[in-house]
Amino acid sequence: MSGDAGGDVELVAIDSDAVWPEDAAEVEEAVVANWFVREGTRVEAGETVCEIQIEKVSIDVPAPATGVLETIEVPDNGEFGRGDALGYVRVG
Amino acid sequence: MAETETEAAGRELTMSRAMVEAIAGEMREDEEVFYMGEDVADYGGIFDSTEGLLEEFGHDRVMDVPISETAYIGAAVGAAQAGMRPIAELMFVDFFGVCMDQIYNGMAKNTYMSGGSFTVPMVLTTAVGGGYNDAGQHSQTLYGTFAHLPGMKVVVPSTAYDAKGLMHAAIRDDDPVVYMFHKRLMGIGWMPAPEGPKTPVPEEDYTIPFGEAAVRREGADATVVTLGLHVHRALSAAEELAAEGIETEVIDLRTLVPLDAETVLESVRKTGRLVVVDEDYRSFGLTGEVVARAAEGALSDLEAVERLGIPDVPIPYARPLENEVIPGTEDVAEAVRSVQG
Repeated sequence: MSGDAGGDVELVAIDSDAVWPEDAAEVEEAVVANWFVREGTRVEAGETVCEIQIEKVSIDVPAPATGVLETIEVPDNGEFGRGDALGYVRVG
Repeated sequence: MAETETEAAGRELTMSRAMVEAIAGEMREDEEVFYMGEDVADYGGIFDSTEGLLEEFGHDRVMDVPISETAYIGAAVGAAQAGMRPIAELMFVDFFGVCMDQIYNGMAKNTYMSGGSFTVPMVLTTAVGGGYNDAGQHSQTLYGTFAHLPGMKVVVPSTAYDAKGLMHAAIRDDDPVVYMFHKRLMGIGWMPAPEGPKTPVPEEDYTIPFGEAAVRREGADATVVTLGLHVHRALSAAEELAAEGIETEVIDLRTLVPLDAETVLESVRKTGRLVVVDEDYRSFGLTGEVVARAAEGALSDLEAVERLGIPDVPIPYARPLENEVIPGTEDVAEAVRSVQG
């Protein structure tokens, strides 16, 4: 889940696997429908940061930690696979 | 929209989420506010207009109704007259035909017909617009049809920020308000929106007063007056035109009734060149109305006029044909070029 980018900076991945619905276990690809925060914005753990779609089912994705949205790895309308990091939150 | 961006604190919402946030806020504040419509409870609205409301408020206040628009819009009119603040959703504006008596003889006129004994403080929400190949009975905007009839206020948001503020204002208004939301702006996963409608949205309540257009971009060479989806197409066209040295002013009407003619006139007095862009039919509608207002109020300043709308044909299903009849960014740019001296 978490990686160390050097120094005291702790980056936590927004893990798509954590929100993957059980009934979509066979599905391997999904798409990001909307990001609700931009890079550099403060987020609270549990706050919805983006919405993904898996076979037309929308799922809100919560921030895994409190901190700053460091990077968006999959942009709006971008496709990704199960387990890909959607972005990273810098804890703090 | 610089004002919008400085007011909000980082969070951005899609238009559908902004609408829902306003509805939920009003429902928490006032138990007389409730929502009725087809597929608005368990499904959350086919265009996400009520997503999540059922979970918080339950089936007593977020009601799926049988497929009789006459019955439930009529019920909303009665509930409003009895002191409640109903919101009734007409799933597609195209379906107005089966329930128009309740809308324009009841909702719109009962205050007048009762000599002011009743007010009808209800909101009629409805999905409008095309651009996703849903053919002639599910793609119309019909802005002109509703704005034409006296007794109803008519609002058309183009951004999430406006969607929330206009919804708060609509629910609090003591008169009936028709709230027309464009499907392509809602930010639904299966129908991606253009860049633009997703904006910062403050957490707290705010209202956008009716009758105030927004100048989305300033320019001295031409005025484009539009609304809804075409605000974003006009802004894209203006970007392209700026590279050619043509500075376009883009006015988002935001409310049709009341209509902010003064903002249009001020702009026309400056530019002298008016392009009106509508997604409704060309004849007997918004484009003609705005041009007429400009002629009445600023005739001597007008140098050239152009209007874009659906060319009086049913909206085709086939993608290339639909793209042909609905004004696109390039059509707007070409119209602005054509009015240059």
